Amino acid sequence: MIPIIARELTAMLRSWRAVALQIGFLAFLGLLVILRWPSEGRVDLGGVASRQVFRIFGYGLLIGLVLVSPAFPATSIVRERLQGTLALLLNSPIRPVSLVLGKLVGSIGFVLVLIVLSFPAAAACFAMGGIGLTDQLGGLYLVLVLLAIEYAALGLLVSSIVRSTDAALRLTYAFILILAVGAMVPNVLLKDVSWAGPEVIGIARVVNSLSPFPAVMHVLGDTGVLGGNTSEQEVMRFSIGAVLVTLLCVAVTTFRLSSRPMDRARDAGRMTDDRSARSRFMRRIMYLWFFDPQRRSGLIAPWQNPVMMKEQRCRPMGRANWMMRLIGTYFVLSLLLVLGATTLSQSQGVAGVFSAIAVMQVGLIVLLAPSLASGLISAERESKGWQLLQMTPLSPASIVTGKLLSAFVPLALVMLATLPAYIALLALDPAQLRTAVSIQVTLVIFAVMAVFLSAGIGSLFRQAAVATAVAYSLIAAVCIGTLFIWLGRDAPFTPLFVERVLTSSPLATTLSIIGTPGFSEYRLTPANWYVMAAMTVGSGAVMLLQVARLGRAR
Amino acid sequence: MNDDLVLRTSDLTKVYGTFTALDGLSISLERGRILGFIGPNGAGKTTTIKILVGLVKATRGEASICGAACGKDTARIKRLVGYMPDVFGSYDNMRVFEYLDFFGAAFGIPRRDRKRRIDECLELTGAARMKDLFVESLSHGMKQRVALTRTLLHEPQMLILDEPANGLDPQARVEMRQVLLELARRGTSLIVTSHILPELARICDTVAIITGGKLRAFGTLDQIMRSVRHSRVIEVVLADRTGVGLAARVLARELGDDVAISQSEASAELRFPTDRDDAGLAALLGRLLEAGVRVAQFREIPMDLEDAFLSVTGQSGVKPTDAPASPSAVRDPKLGVVGAGA
Repeated sequence: MIPIIARELTAMLRSWRAVALQIGFLAFLGLLVILRWPSEGRVDLGGVASRQVFRIFGYGLLIGLVLVSPAFPATSIVRERLQGTLALLLNSPIRPVSLVLGKLVGSIGFVLVLIVLSFPAAAACFAMGGIGLTDQLGGLYLVLVLLAIEYAALGLLVSSIVRSTDAALRLTYAFILILAVGAMVPNVLLKDVSWAGPEVIGIARVVNSLSPFPAVMHVLGDTGVLGGNTSEQEVMRFSIGAVLVTLLCVAVTTFRLSSRPMDRARDAGRMTDDRSARSRFMRRIMYLWFFDPQRRSGLIAPWQNPVMMKEQRCRPMGRANWMMRLIGTYFVLSLLLVLGATTLSQSQGVAGVFSAIAVMQVGLIVLLAPSLASGLISAERESKGWQLLQMTPLSPASIVTGKLLSAFVPLALVMLATLPAYIALLALDPAQLRTAVSIQVTLVIFAVMAVFLSAGIGSLFRQAAVATAVAYSLIAAVCIGTLFIWLGRDAPFTPLFVERVLTSSPLATTLSIIGTPGFSEYRLTPANWYVMAAMTVGSGAVMLLQVARLGRAR
Repeated sequence: MNDDLVLRTSDLTKVYGTFTALDGLSISLERGRILGFIGPNGAGKTTTIKILVGLVKATRGEASICGAACGKDTARIKRLVGYMPDVFGSYDNMRVFEYLDFFGAAFGIPRRDRKRRIDECLELTGAARMKDLFVESLSHGMKQRVALTRTLLHEPQMLILDEPANGLDPQARVEMRQVLLELARRGTSLIVTSHILPELARICDTVAIITGGKLRAFGTLDQIMRSVRHSRVIEVVLADRTGVGLAARVLARELGDDVAISQSEASAELRFPTDRDDAGLAALLGRLLEAGVRVAQFREIPMDLEDAFLSVTGQSGVKPTDAPASPSAVRDPKLGVVGAGA
């Protein structure tokens, strides 16, 4: 196990990216503390200012670690597989469990370095007074260390399943979003619902404790933007959940590496076209002909963009049968949303449900857009397919159009799935039509911008995994990063400055349209639409130029 | 000007900073011919190929394929040339037919002709049975066949194949060779790079040897052999091992001390280079027999492309020689030239 740890740590720490990450992380935390550092020459005996600084520092550290801790482990095993070194490792006397633990400890080692780098900023918060050393500072670091271990283990598990580094990153971040944010949703939605019995609420609370946010909110003394009071046991509950998830991930990863991990043969199956007439007839009825996965695909039609068709066919979820399953899932989710919207509107009001659905849509766009668009060019370059595309007569505009369309289709499907919920809410309160339209316009422009920005920035990188990580960071910075400025709306920033910064945030814009407290005083539309349109045009131009540049002879 | 020339390069040069990757390459190729492009790693082969297909811009010089200027008339070059790089360029989750359909559509092959064309090309390359398989599940040899099929789809007039035999088993190599010869027979011109020189010798009628970015030899195999061969190499196999010492002494006396005679007692063999003609060699054999050496075989070792390559690149100890052959001198029927590697 020791050689694996040494190798993982050495490989991670000596890369320029690791150094950049450490410096960036340190600068980010320092900036957060400076932003909220009291500028008046008065002593705050009550520790209010200190707790404000500690709160912003704690959330900053949490979000930083949520983004960083799974990044390296998520690509660790899949990279070994692609480079052919996994077979060498498995052929050595190192046992799979040692391999997994070695990689886990190596990955955590890097995150621990980042955590240690945050000590000066934490010490600055502590020095201001009003913060408990063990219950608050100690509690925060306990949650963060457990979170880092849990997400690293999750990243390793995903890395042992998928076949490409960018897919590993995408899937890992999706799981983390579900664990960190999705786990809180049932508790938030059900806590005020009359029909939910104590068992249902109990289950929702257990699921809620999988998220680190309630524990961190408790440690930071925050009653929560979600309106819930956190209990004393949040840290303990999260700790138990994190340890269990870590153990489960390590066990499953070890099992995967122990049981023929290199056996990746893919059976082509028997084509429906080659089956008997009776069998063909039955399958055509069963799969409605078009959705049969074993049907030979038709030729690409002249009106279809070949690149778009290629991208659709390459994606596991891009096939007709999978698209049908996705649409079905969205339909069920949509019905659940309608049910939830009509039920919850009685207790939380139509506006409250609007907020919940809009935030969920923003979350989906943040999750899906970089995943679909960031690797459009970089993955092509990485797989050496770009050289082949260059040798075809396809124009850069045609390539860019095809690739962008392939990202828009699934995103549009997701967006459409939420429409019935809006319609149900409007049936309850038709006066909200204007609000609903404004929200939809904002979200559609945001979705377009997120795809263009991810594709444009992603096209600048050679490796799809790096492109994906950078795209996620940028989209998260636009949506969530700007909210850190909002947190400093009383001091040191002026309301005008905060409004200007929030103009670039689609999340803040959506919340201001709905009239969420804290955002209702800002007028962000239509300025936000113009900013996002400008970002879209800029990103599109970057992508087009990069494709044209890559297509030229060097 | 010869209208039958499909490839023409003149003083083609590529400089990266202070490093000259390609230095004044001038070659040409006739329709239906196969040019073997050989050289050690980093010799400039891939740079040349990339200039020809328009992926790299030449620093100096000109190149044209069927009259289209490489690097300028890119759209025409793409239609005229089928390029098979040494990497496959796989797209996961696609079946072979879908993969080929995409490239067919990208090349603008009309839908009504595309299926027929894909089937024809799959048949030609022996990959018809693979059309329902997933691309990522193919073995290396299968991928080479699919890559060749992809390259043929738009009916290019010239094929440029980078290491097509790489990773193929002997049976697949034979089949690949037959496919390439069939394509040449149909009038397609081919440029083939390979490190498997005996394989190239079997199919190429013209060879270009390049090292350090410079063309060292260019012409038919015969022309190159003749230009690099300064002496014949004779092998003497004895009936028993005890006579090796005696035979070596007789040969040294007859040939002179400055001729290097290699001997192997284990296999009772001796080898030496000589400029003697057939009559001189007969006299030499007579001396060996007179001295009581029991000779089982006395024969000339034929030179193959590998020897020629090593000789030209100076790795065999023989002084490198430029073959001044002009491409227009290449008139031998394709298969008539082959034999050196046999």
